[in-house]
Parts: sequence; structure tokens; C-alpha cells
Amino acid sequence: MKPTERPTLDLAAGLKALEEDLPRVVNVLGVTSLSDLGWSRPKPLVLLVPMKATWQGQEDAYLLRLSFEAYRRWPPSARFVNPATQDYVHPDDQHHVPKLTSPECQTHIAYQMNAQAPKMQLICCSATFEFWDVLHDVEEHHMWRGTETFLTTINAIQKAFGSHYQGRF
Amino acid sequence: MNEQKQVGAGDRLEKAVEELEAAEGRLVEARKEEAAAEHDIAEAVKVIKEEEKRQEAEVHVIHVNEVEKATFREKLTATLQQVWNKSYDELKIQRRPKDVFQTADEHPKSLMNDLQLTLAEARERHVIKDFCFGIASETGGAGGW
Repeated sequence: MKPTERPTLDLAAGLKALEEDLPRVVNVLGVTSLSDLGWSRPKPLVLLVPMKATWQGQEDAYLLRLSFEAYRRWPPSARFVNPATQDYVHPDDQHHVPKLTSPECQTHIAYQMNAQAPKMQLICCSATFEFWDVLHDVEEHHMWRGTETFLTTINAIQKAFGSHYQGRF
Repeated sequence: MNEQKQVGAGDRLEKAVEELEAAEGRLVEARKEEAAAEHDIAEAVKVIKEEEKRQEAEVHVIHVNEVEKATFREKLTATLQQVWNKSYDELKIQRRPKDVFQTADEHPKSLMNDLQLTLAEARERHVIKDFCFGIASETGGAGGW
């Protein structure tokens, strides 16, 4: 089915939900702080999550940037960024994006919603904001539930790293 | 006559004392045997419990979508399907149709094709590294491009 609604931003709600969810996630992962996980929060609405994976015997490191401007009504925005700038500019930073080809999670380095739209990185997964923002086709059972947290997003991406990682772009 | 009676009473008394001492001796031995038997029982119970423990695992499960976790003991002969089923009871969370049972590694791996394996088999075949699991609803959409 085609979603009929694009996400709307609500920064205050996003910040409140993130403040609520961070301690829950830290607790369920069995640690006491974000730094125990290697994660950081450079801005109130931004979370940086290092990830790594092995391709053809070589370990590759990536940095996932989550932001929470429409959270938790919608999933967090998610993109891989250049660790030096914590940003993504195509095509300069495309090698900071992993090739993920899972049916549940697939990466695109320069997706265009239409001919007029700017090129953007898209982590094509129903647990990212961008998926809904481009009005991607979706199955009913993949609808984002407003009770879910960003742990769903991280889990989906980490799972794709484990089974469908094909090196860097 | 009186002397004969006194001698008879003295013998009986002496005999009774001897029997008492013998009985006390047997009681001491019986108590030693009882203590030894109790010790043997305690040792046997300990061995049984250790063996039972060896045949069990401490299972940790995280429900990713609900951000909940539970820990429980399960027999190594339990299948992954049984562990998955029990996880919902322990978590007190309802199963959703598109839930996936998975490992809880850095890169979670679906166990949906291995649900018939027991915990012991799954570990022996390196399907799992430990007894930490996750439940996460399937995400999707990427296949539609």
C-alpha cells in the first residue's frame, strides 16, 4: 500500500520521547550509559551510533546518525555520515555508506523521490523517517507503531549488516 | 536366704547395666551411620542439582520493539521454538504475527529457520554463541524498489 501521510516534525515531542527512551534502551542493553555503548549525543536531538562490519576479511567502520525531529510518532531519521563532519554530502561521502541489500533494510547513496527532488541518502527501511518521507510502498504489518523506539531502527540496520553487507559504496 | 536374694538382684543389676552399655554403644554406632547416610544423601542431592544445572541454561531475551528484557532458566533440550514461546510469557508481551526470533549479537541473526533445534544443538552447530536472544518485528519495504 502507499502511505497517505508524510511525517510532520515536532521537535518538542521528539526531545521528550528521546529523553524517555534513552534510559530504557540503555537499561535493556545492560549498560549504564550511552558511552558504555560507544554512542554519543552531540546535540539534544542527535544520536551517533558507531557500527562495524566485515567484508572480504576486512573490518569496516561506519557512523550512523539518528535524529529525532518527528519521533516517536515517526521513526528517527537515519543516515550514515562522514565521522569527520558528522554529515553526508553526495558524492564526496558516499564511501561512508555501507552497501546493505537486505529485504528489510537497503541503502541508497543518491535517491531522488522525483526528478525535481534533491538527491539524498536513503536507508530504505520502515524503521527510518526517510522511508515514510518518500512515501515508500509499505505492507500493513510494517507500519511504524508510535510505541516503538529507535532501538528498532538500530536493530534493523545491525541485522542487515550481519546478513546482507557488501562492503562500501 | 537373704544373701542369695541379694546376690540374684546384684547379678540382674549388673546384667542390666551391661545391656544398657551395649545398647548405648549400638546407639552411638547407629548415630554415626545415620550421620554418614545424611552426608551421602546431601552429596547425592548436590550432584543431582549440579547435573540438572548443567543440563539447563540461563536464557536472556530482549524484546526490541517494546524495550523489555527477561531472564529465565531453560533445559538444554528445549527447542528454540519453545524458548521463543516461553519468552513471551516471561516478558508478559503478546506475540505479533511478524515477530522474528533472533540472536542478540552485535549483528542479530534470524533464527526462524532453526526453531526446531534444541539449545544444545544450536550451540553445538554454532547457530548461537550464547543463550542471549532477541525478538523484533520484521521491518520492510526495501524489497519493493
